[in-house]
Amino acid sequence: MKNLKNYIYILAAAVFVTACKPNFNSNPAPGKGSLDLTRYISVGNSLTAGYADGGLYLNGQLNSYPSIIAQQMTSVNSSLTFNQPLFASSQANGSGYLKLTGFDASGNPVTSTVTSNLAYVGQATVPGFGTVNLMAKYTGNLDNYGVPGIKLLHLTSTLYPNVNPYFDRMLTTTSPNNTTTYLSLITSKSFTFFTNWLGNNDALGYATGGGGGYTGADVLTDPTTFGQLYTLLITTLTANGAKGACATIPDVTTIPYFTTVTYPLVLAGVQKAVPSVQALYINAATNTTDATGATETYAPRAATANDLFVLTFPTSLLGSTTAGVGTYPYGLDPRNPIESKYVLDANEQTLVKNAVNSYNTTIKTIAASKGLAVFDAFTFLTNIKASGYVINGLNLNSNYISGGIFSLDGVHLTPRGYSIVANQFITAINSTYGSSIPLANVSAYNGVIFP
Amino acid sequence: MALFPAMAMAQGFQVNLHGQKQIGMGHTGTGLLQDGASVLFNPGAVAMLPQNYLQAGISPLFFKSAFQSTGSNVTYNNTNQVATPFTAYAVWGPTGSKWKIGLGVYTPFGGLTNWGNTWVGKYSLESLNLKAIYFQPTLSYKLSNTVSIGAGFVYNYGSVDLTEALPLSSSSGQDGQAELKGSGHGLGYNLGVFIKPSNEVSLGLTYRSQVDTKIENGDALFTVPASLASSFPSPNTFSSSIPLPSTTSLGLGYMPDNKWTIGFDMEFVHWSVYKSLDFTYGKTTSSLQNTSLARNYQDAYDVRLGAEYKTSPKIAVRFGGGYATTAVQDGYVTPEAPDADRVYGTLGLGTKLAKNLDLDLSFEYEHVMSRTQTEIQTQLSGTFKTNVYIPGISLSYHW
Repeated sequence: MKNLKNYIYILAAAVFVTACKPNFNSNPAPGKGSLDLTRYISVGNSLTAGYADGGLYLNGQLNSYPSIIAQQMTSVNSSLTFNQPLFASSQANGSGYLKLTGFDASGNPVTSTVTSNLAYVGQATVPGFGTVNLMAKYTGNLDNYGVPGIKLLHLTSTLYPNVNPYFDRMLTTTSPNNTTTYLSLITSKSFTFFTNWLGNNDALGYATGGGGGYTGADVLTDPTTFGQLYTLLITTLTANGAKGACATIPDVTTIPYFTTVTYPLVLAGVQKAVPSVQALYINAATNTTDATGATETYAPRAATANDLFVLTFPTSLLGSTTAGVGTYPYGLDPRNPIESKYVLDANEQTLVKNAVNSYNTTIKTIAASKGLAVFDAFTFLTNIKASGYVINGLNLNSNYISGGIFSLDGVHLTPRGYSIVANQFITAINSTYGSSIPLANVSAYNGVIFP
Repeated sequence: MALFPAMAMAQGFQVNLHGQKQIGMGHTGTGLLQDGASVLFNPGAVAMLPQNYLQAGISPLFFKSAFQSTGSNVTYNNTNQVATPFTAYAVWGPTGSKWKIGLGVYTPFGGLTNWGNTWVGKYSLESLNLKAIYFQPTLSYKLSNTVSIGAGFVYNYGSVDLTEALPLSSSSGQDGQAELKGSGHGLGYNLGVFIKPSNEVSLGLTYRSQVDTKIENGDALFTVPASLASSFPSPNTFSSSIPLPSTTSLGLGYMPDNKWTIGFDMEFVHWSVYKSLDFTYGKTTSSLQNTSLARNYQDAYDVRLGAEYKTSPKIAVRFGGGYATTAVQDGYVTPEAPDADRVYGTLGLGTKLAKNLDLDLSFEYEHVMSRTQTEIQTQLSGTFKTNVYIPGISLSYHW
């Protein structure tokens, strides 16, 4: 039986020698290609800041797409640090934000606004503008320059830092005494890499306000001005040899802010109560002659499915004889049409589309001339609206709440949506600069939070 | 909105661990007369077995799989869980008679994997525990000294326990959870013929039928945020059906002297019957719809070669190996069983503890080829690597 023992040893050895986990040599191994990632800065607006659910708050900041990109970049440069203007934990709710509290009997979402632990600390009076809110200052190092609300148009404005509390809180001076322009803020310290997603609000501000046609309506940034400012921005950002990535401006009609409350839905809701109603009336632009949308004329007409209602349209106003100009039932009579601020009508959409197309041509042309990477957000979001986005067993789409990508405001993204954007940037960066920055795990980021 | 996405049970869940002597010889046995495992390998050979047998064995299976997403540098490993395929056979016939009866209890299909609830593919699958236990009474009859035939009736008890995450975050950041748990049964049969034209050569042919296993009224349990509870009624029930495919085996045996036994087997697995995996729920809602997932399996083949050498009357050493083609087509590779073509090698050791008592040990190493895939339905994209380690032990009493 001596042999037997030996055989048993051989058998046992076979078990131990081979009993290990399969190994991966990452293919391709993380590498920075031609990138210098000594300091990465992000330039942009609310999307860049991590704005979500109608507000900027700590959890949104922590899931901003630039912070996700930076985190992935640490695989190729472990010493990279990325500082965001985070709200202090005692003021974690920042501006306040929307929270889903449940669904009503017909399945419609019910939201409430979080108003505790905000970061507002006072007000300032800006001459020639009015009163503005002030937020607690952020004083640490700063690499994420995302300012909610900012347009490319504000790039060199010295007034703007005084009227936007998100901008003010990044500065050492305080409104109304700020003189630092956005362009000088972002270039005040040297950097080697940037992402830039400015320009959304130059179209989105007009669009989310239902276009023009009322006092205080926003206007589209003139495409020529956009081109000049974008050239200035990119020239300045790349002046010291920094590389970077830019993103195009999405088609505003791909976001749930405009696709959730549809004309057929609203009409059907009214007809349920008043079957005789045949049409709803809106105050609509009659032409598309001014590229900025500032001087269009407006007239009442029957709405069609091509007119887009904003997500926040209060349908309870319909039929009221005190809403709008009063006397006649609101929205049901051409003499008291639905106000222009609630509807992005077909002509206004044309104006927005023309502007966005022009902006995107500018962005792609200038980025190409500097050899920058481009994330084509316009094409990406248009494709998601058309056919959804499936990844890791997740079936995502552009629908409000259930889609998983857009947050409760219908414009900004969920952490999951921002992780997808981060991966799109990374993919564009890798293909332009020969780098292999690993992609983020989309499954690890949540969609809308349900109570 | 179909919030309840892909769920699947996949191939790779055929388990070929049917007897320690046969495992040691690379899973050959259709054309051999080794022991009571002939009940499974070839019911036609049972009547030719020289003795009566009572035997049982177990083969703890260590399934080590790893996944890396396309474009990522993070590796996910499934957690260590040990599946326990087992066998038990009894064969009896009066001395000198032309017939023998047999009973086999064995586990020809199964899967046990747990990727955890934080891995990248958690919305496809977190864990799966799939078992199929076949009970097979058998009758075998010797037509002549060179030809015998046999047939068995198969009753299958099958069970499944599958969990996956639902992309519905609660306020604490937790995903929703779905668990499908149920059992069912199916019926089948097998047929075999065994021919032994000389003392040196033998051959066998076995057909094991498809066994459609139906699960009715399984438990479908959902944990989702309270505001969505009405969309995911829980407890709920589900029904499903899995076609466990038929297999056809051809085996040859060659015994050049009384020390060497050489076996060769070929097997054809009719996996192409597995077209889709369907789940029907007792209660459906707009968020919880019945699902039908394309599987579109292809037929699979394997070839096996093995040998036994008796170093003494009391000790036999065995070795063998084989190659199996995958049943899973490109585009359908899922984490349930990250299947690919596989190659394996086996070792075995047999010893007589007493005149009527054999102890057999076996070890198998199986390497599943690295496979980089994007699954069509879930877009889970990345590379699976899998190694399987299977030690085993059995005791046989024969008289």
